[in-house]
Amino acid sequence: MATFELYRRSTSGMCLTETLDEMVQSGTLSPELAIQVLVQFDKSMTEALESQVKTKVSIKGHLHTYRFCDNVWTFILQDAMFKSEDRQENVSQVKIVACDSKLLTQ
Amino acid sequence: MATTTTTSGVYIHVIEDVVSKVREEFVNNGGPGESVLSELQGVIFFFFFVSEKIWETKMMQAGVLSGPIERSSAQRPTPGGPLTHDLNVPYEGTEEYETPTAEMLFPPTPMQTPLPTPLPGTADNSSMYNIPTGSSDYPTPGTENGSHVDVKARPSPYMQPPSPWTNPRLDVNVAYVDGRDEAERGNPNQHFTQDLFVPSTGKRKRDDSSAQYQNGGSIPQQDGASDALPMATLEGDTLCITFVGDKRVPRDFICSSSKIPQVDGPMPDPYDEMLSTPNIYSYQRPSEDFNEGRTPAPNEIQTSTPVTAQNDVIEDDEELLNEDDDDDELDDLESGEDMNTQHLVLAQFDKVTRTKSRWKCNLKDGIMHINDKDILFNKVLCFPFPQLSLELFWLTIILTLAV
Repeated sequence: MATFELYRRSTSGMCLTETLDEMVQSGTLSPELAIQVLVQFDKSMTEALESQVKTKVSIKGHLHTYRFCDNVWTFILQDAMFKSEDRQENVSQVKIVACDSKLLTQ
Repeated sequence: MATTTTTSGVYIHVIEDVVSKVREEFVNNGGPGESVLSELQGVIFFFFFVSEKIWETKMMQAGVLSGPIERSSAQRPTPGGPLTHDLNVPYEGTEEYETPTAEMLFPPTPMQTPLPTPLPGTADNSSMYNIPTGSSDYPTPGTENGSHVDVKARPSPYMQPPSPWTNPRLDVNVAYVDGRDEAERGNPNQHFTQDLFVPSTGKRKRDDSSAQYQNGGSIPQQDGASDALPMATLEGDTLCITFVGDKRVPRDFICSSSKIPQVDGPMPDPYDEMLSTPNIYSYQRPSEDFNEGRTPAPNEIQTSTPVTAQNDVIEDDEELLNEDDDDDELDDLESGEDMNTQHLVLAQFDKVTRTKSRWKCNLKDGIMHINDKDILFNKVLCFPFPQLSLELFWLTIILTLAV
């Protein structure tokens, strides 16, 4: 089954990767099992974002770079403003990486 | 419910979900066992809260915070439930909840959970930096990092190099399909290898190309169209080379003297004509000394440096002409982004459209890491627009008015 490894770059994904990395290097865990854990993390994270999160956000900014390669959009925005229901954030530069949602349903 | 929709609540749910689903693999089939699984869960939580604790400490040291931020009562978890921790607010240990430990965060398992180094209290923040858990991997988000390994790439938390045991061909940006990527990536390499042997015959099985080589046929080793294959004959003490091709080089030039000029630098005049003709492989090898009695095999002469020498001249010109082609600002930006991505959004896209210079992106199910905060979203509408120069801006206005 296809999974997006995208979320491994998030905070929790990096924590998990760090942990698994140490355990593999210390010999506590086999690499194959660690990869299984990561794949399960991909699935669980995708499912959790779909079912448990209801936030809507709006982003506006200057598009500095756009790239579409291998069904992945990458944008770099400058002076971006993030608006959600209860807060607003401004950043000087943000990178947006987005995978095609249709790939998961195929 | 408020607790399940907070960022940390979702993360905790994900961790527990993952652990429960891989428990079978750990326990059965000769896996590492329940203790390792519990340790994994505990260490993940540990890393989670350590990173936030460091953030709070840094902010206090920077004078941004005068003290730990007061937590609102609404954020305290219900008794008996799992401790939910909102990453968006620095954590403050209270009387009821000391700094969370692995034991507190999830129900006790039948086997004793081996407790990693517990989180120190607020007074012992400095000891965190001595934790041998790769603390260098958790600098403040604003820290620049010198090392970077390209993915297909840390210690920025978002660009950690892939571990040696992970599949080095996996790209985090590409949907992962079991087994498919390996097959896809195997073939291009194979074709590339084949092309080295037989550039003009297209796709061919490896066996055929190797058989051809073993038959003793000459394999052209020049780049590009190999129209002119030089033939070398040894006449007396002089090696004469004639070219079968569009142009013949007068043999006088080459065989006239036993000594071949070995001056480096610009070619002498008699050779200008040769050089000016594009398809000729001009014989000019200042570095070669044939008077030493070396008799290179005929085929070796083809690996020719006159071509290289000629190309060097051309390349120098090209370098001069192309030296400003790259947008250094963009390159720095891109590499800077890769090395130190402070603000990152990871999501899936439903639709990306563009009307002239106005883009519209519908994203969903994503994680945003902005200003040291994690924000999860279900839907995002993104409206990036390119920066217009002032002239273009006025031009756009004028055209709009004219219409």
